[in-house]
Amino acid sequence: MSSRAPTAPLATTHGRRRLAVLAIIVLGALFLLPLTGRSHIIREEPWHPVPAAYLRSLFYLKLQPVDWALVRAEYESVREGGSQLDSVYDGIALAAELHGTDHAAAIRDAIAAQDAESLSVSATRAVSQLVRLHLRRALAKLDTPGAALEEVHQASRMYRAFDRFVRATDSQGARELGRAWLELTTTVGTAGVGRRGSRAADRERFAGAVETVEGYLTANYESDGGPSMTGFDPVPVAGRASMTSVAPWLPPASDLNDQDPLPRLVLNFEERGVDEKDLFLVTYGDMLFDSPEVFGEPARSLGLTCSTCHNRSDINRRFFIPGISTRPGNVDVDGHYFNPRFNDRRADALDIPSLRGLRFTAPYGRDGRFASLPDFTRNVVVNEFAGEEPTPLMLDALVAYLLEFDWLPAPYLQPDGRLNDAASDSARRGEALFNRPFEGMGDRACSTCHVASNNFLDGQRHDIGTGDRSSPGARDTFFDTPTLIGVAHTAPYFHDGAVATLAEVVDWFNTQFHLGLEDGQRADLTTYLETAGEGVDPYEVFDEDNTPFQLFWGELSTFASTLSTLIPARDAEHADLMLRTVATDLRLDASALEDLSQAPKVFELADCLDDIRAAINANDWDRAARLYTEYQALEVAYGPDFR
Amino acid sequence: MNRGFRKATAVLATAVALCAVQPAEQASAISQDKLTLAFIPQENPEKLLDDISVIRDYLSEEMGMEVDGYVTLDHAAAVEALRNGTADISFMGALPYVLAHHHVNAQVVLAEVYRGSPTYRARVFVRRDSGITRLADLRGKSIAFADPISESGYLYPLDLFADAGFLTPGDDPKTFFSSVYFAGGYQQAIQAVANGYVDAAGASQFAELLLTPEQLLEVTSIAESDLIPSHAVIARGDLDPSVVAAFKRAMLKLNQDDYRHLLQYVYGPDGYIEIDHTAFAGVEALAREYGYLQE
Repeated sequence: MSSRAPTAPLATTHGRRRLAVLAIIVLGALFLLPLTGRSHIIREEPWHPVPAAYLRSLFYLKLQPVDWALVRAEYESVREGGSQLDSVYDGIALAAELHGTDHAAAIRDAIAAQDAESLSVSATRAVSQLVRLHLRRALAKLDTPGAALEEVHQASRMYRAFDRFVRATDSQGARELGRAWLELTTTVGTAGVGRRGSRAADRERFAGAVETVEGYLTANYESDGGPSMTGFDPVPVAGRASMTSVAPWLPPASDLNDQDPLPRLVLNFEERGVDEKDLFLVTYGDMLFDSPEVFGEPARSLGLTCSTCHNRSDINRRFFIPGISTRPGNVDVDGHYFNPRFNDRRADALDIPSLRGLRFTAPYGRDGRFASLPDFTRNVVVNEFAGEEPTPLMLDALVAYLLEFDWLPAPYLQPDGRLNDAASDSARRGEALFNRPFEGMGDRACSTCHVASNNFLDGQRHDIGTGDRSSPGARDTFFDTPTLIGVAHTAPYFHDGAVATLAEVVDWFNTQFHLGLEDGQRADLTTYLETAGEGVDPYEVFDEDNTPFQLFWGELSTFASTLSTLIPARDAEHADLMLRTVATDLRLDASALEDLSQAPKVFELADCLDDIRAAINANDWDRAARLYTEYQALEVAYGPDFR
Repeated sequence: MNRGFRKATAVLATAVALCAVQPAEQASAISQDKLTLAFIPQENPEKLLDDISVIRDYLSEEMGMEVDGYVTLDHAAAVEALRNGTADISFMGALPYVLAHHHVNAQVVLAEVYRGSPTYRARVFVRRDSGITRLADLRGKSIAFADPISESGYLYPLDLFADAGFLTPGDDPKTFFSSVYFAGGYQQAIQAVANGYVDAAGASQFAELLLTPEQLLEVTSIAESDLIPSHAVIARGDLDPSVVAAFKRAMLKLNQDDYRHLLQYVYGPDGYIEIDHTAFAGVEALAREYGYLQE
C-alpha cells in the first residue's frame, strides 16, 4: 500500500489538504480567508502584495536571527504576480492620503534601525489605514456601483491581513466585522446588465458599515497601545483579553501542497506481491510517515508530516516557506521556527532529498553526518521538528517503512549501471565522457565518485566547491555523493537546490573543473544523465478508477488494519496515536471526494474510529474489538462507492 | 406551463444542446484584423492583467491576428463593451449572459467544463451544528447569496424557496428571511456561513471546495437546484462568423494535453465545450419569472 500524499497546510490549524493533484481545485492559501473577489466557479483569491508582504515581514521577525535583508526586500520589491506596483512601499504610501502619515518612511527607518517593534507598529497602522482609505473612497463613489465595489474589494484585500487574528481571538468583534463586510457588499449596489437586475446603493447602511469597520480598526490596530505583537501576531486589542493563543500560521506564498504531478511510490513489498496489511511494522511506519502526531509544535498544528517534504518517498519541489526556504523545494530544518532549541542560527536551507532507494544510500544527511538510519530518523523527529522521543516501536516501524522505498525502475540501465541497448547514441557518447578522467578533476572521472555499479554512489563525502566555507581554509563544506538513479525527476540539484537543470549541472562542472567540453559534448553528457536517471512511470496517474480520494482511502484503511494487531496486544499507546491520525485525516481527506455527498459516510467511519479510541482509552478492550468489527463492516459497505 | 414542467423541459433542452454540439465551422478568410477580449475581474484585477497577457499571446498566435484584452469594471461594462464594439468576446455566468443576450444580442459560443461536466448545481448551505435541516427552518433567518446577477449564487437557490412555497418569484426575499446579503462571491457567501455570520448561504455546489477541510466538517447543504449551464464564453452578436469559428477552434485546443496548462489563465476550468443558446432556456425562463427580463 502506498504512503499517502503529503499534506498541504497553509496555516490552518490541522490544515492538511491533499488536493493539489486536482489541478482545477485551488484551495491553497486559505488561512487568511479573503472577503474580497467575485469567485469564478472554483477559484481562490490571490493575495494583494501589501498585506502579503506585511504578514511575511512579521513572520520573519519571529525567526532568530532576523534576516533584515529579507525584511527589506519584502518592502522594496513586489513578490505577488500581476501587480502594477513597483514596490510594496508604493502601495503603502497610498495610506498617507488618509491622515498624511508617511508610513513608508517610518517602515524604512525601522528597517534601517533593525527595530522590530517600530516596524510592526508602523506597518500595522499602514495596512489598517489602507483598509479605511479604500472604504472612504468607496463611499465617495457610491453613485458608480462598479467603482465603489472595486474599492470595497480593495479594502477587504487589505483587511485579509488581520482577519485570521480577529477571528481567532475576538469572536464577537469578528462577527460584527463579518456582518459589516456583508453589509458593504450588499448595500454598495449593482449596475446589473443593461439596467436589468440593477440595485441602487443604500448610502445610509453602507456608511454605517464603513463606520463599524473603521471604528474597530482604529481602536484595535491604530491606538497608542497598538495591536498585541507577542510573537509578532497582529492580534486586535480586543483579543488580548481572550487569552486565546493564535494557532501557528505560515505567511502568504507558503506552499506545502503536493508536487503536481504526484510522484509514484514504489515499495519493495508491493512489487513482490506482499499485502501491506500483512506487514504490521511497515504499515505502522507508513502511518507514522504521514502523521503530524510524531512532530511537536508548530509542525504538528500545521499538519506537517514526513511526507510533506518527502512526497511519496520522493521530493516535493513545490515546498516553500518564506524565510525558511530560499527556493521551492528546499528548507532550513535546523532554523528557529520548527524547534528553537535546535536552531543553529545559520541560514543553510537544504534541497529536500528523494528517499527512494534509501536502504542503499547510507550515510544520511546531505553531509552524511549520520551513518545509521534510526539515528537520522530520530534526529528529524526530535530535533528538527520538536517531537517527543519516539518509542522503540515507532522508531522501528518508521525505519521498517523507509527501508521499503525503492527507486523507480531504470529503463536504460543494466544491473551493473552501464547503459543498455535502448539508450541513444548521444547518451552513449555521454557515458564515455562520464567515465573519462579529466585533468581538471585530478585525473578523476565523474564515475569515480558516482560509481555506476554501486547505484552511482561511493558512500563518501567530497568538497566539490558547492558549499560556502566558514573561512578560506576551512574544511567544512563536504557533502555526501548523491545517487544519479532517478535524477531526471529530482530537480533542482546540489545540496541546496541551487541548480535547476541537469544541463546546468554539466555546465557548472565544465566551468568549475575546466573540463573543456564543447557544446556537443555537454549536450551528450546531459543526455547521459537524463537517460541514466530516467525512471519508469514516475508520476501517479489518476483516472476514474484511481481517484485521489481512493488513493487516500486505501492508505487510511490499511493504517486502520493495524488494530488487528494492536487490540489483541492491548497496546493502547500506539493504537491511540494511529486512531487520532487516521480519524483526523479521514475527515480532512473528505475534501478530495469527487462526490462530496459521500462525505457523511466518510465522517461516519471517522466517528467509528473515535469510538474505538474512546473504548481503548477506557480500557474496555472487548468493546473496542466489537467496534472494530463494526468498522470493518462499514468499510466493506461504503468503500467501493468512494471516488 | 407549470413550474415543474418548465424546469424539466429546460434541463432536457440543456442536455440536448450539450450533447448535440456541432463541429466548429471551418474558418474562411478572417475579415477582422483584431479581436478584443473583455474580462470581468472575478479576482484581483491586477493579477488578471497578467493572465490576460498569456492568453492574449496564445490566441494571437493561434488565430493569426492581433488579440487584445482588458479588464472591465463589472458585468454592465463588459456587456456595454460588446454593444458598442469595444470588445468582441467576454466571459460570464449563465444569468448575466442571458441578460446580455437580450440586451445586446450577445451570443454564447463556448461553455466551461468543471469536473467533467458543463453543468452544475446551486446549493443552500448551513452549519451542521445549527439544527437547520430543511428550507422551512430558515424562516426568519439570515442568508448570504453571492451576487444579485448570479444564477447559482442567487437565482437558482432563491428559486428553491419558491418551489417549496415559501416565496413568490419576484417578491422581496425578506418576506421569508430576516436578512438577505450579497457577499460578493461564492467563497465569501459560504465563508459567511462557516464563520457564523449568517444562518445560510446560496451558492454554487463548488463553493464547498473553497472551504478548508475543517470547515467542510462544519458546513453541509440542505437543498440542491436543478442543473445549470456552466459559465460561458460569449461574443457580440455581429462578430464575423469566421472570427468566431477561429476563436472557438483556438479555445477548444486548450482541451488538449499540450495546451491544458493555459486554462489557468482563463478562470481555470477543466476545458471548454461548444454550446448554443438553447441550453439556456431554463435560465431564461427563470430570469423572466423573477423580473430580470420583462418581454
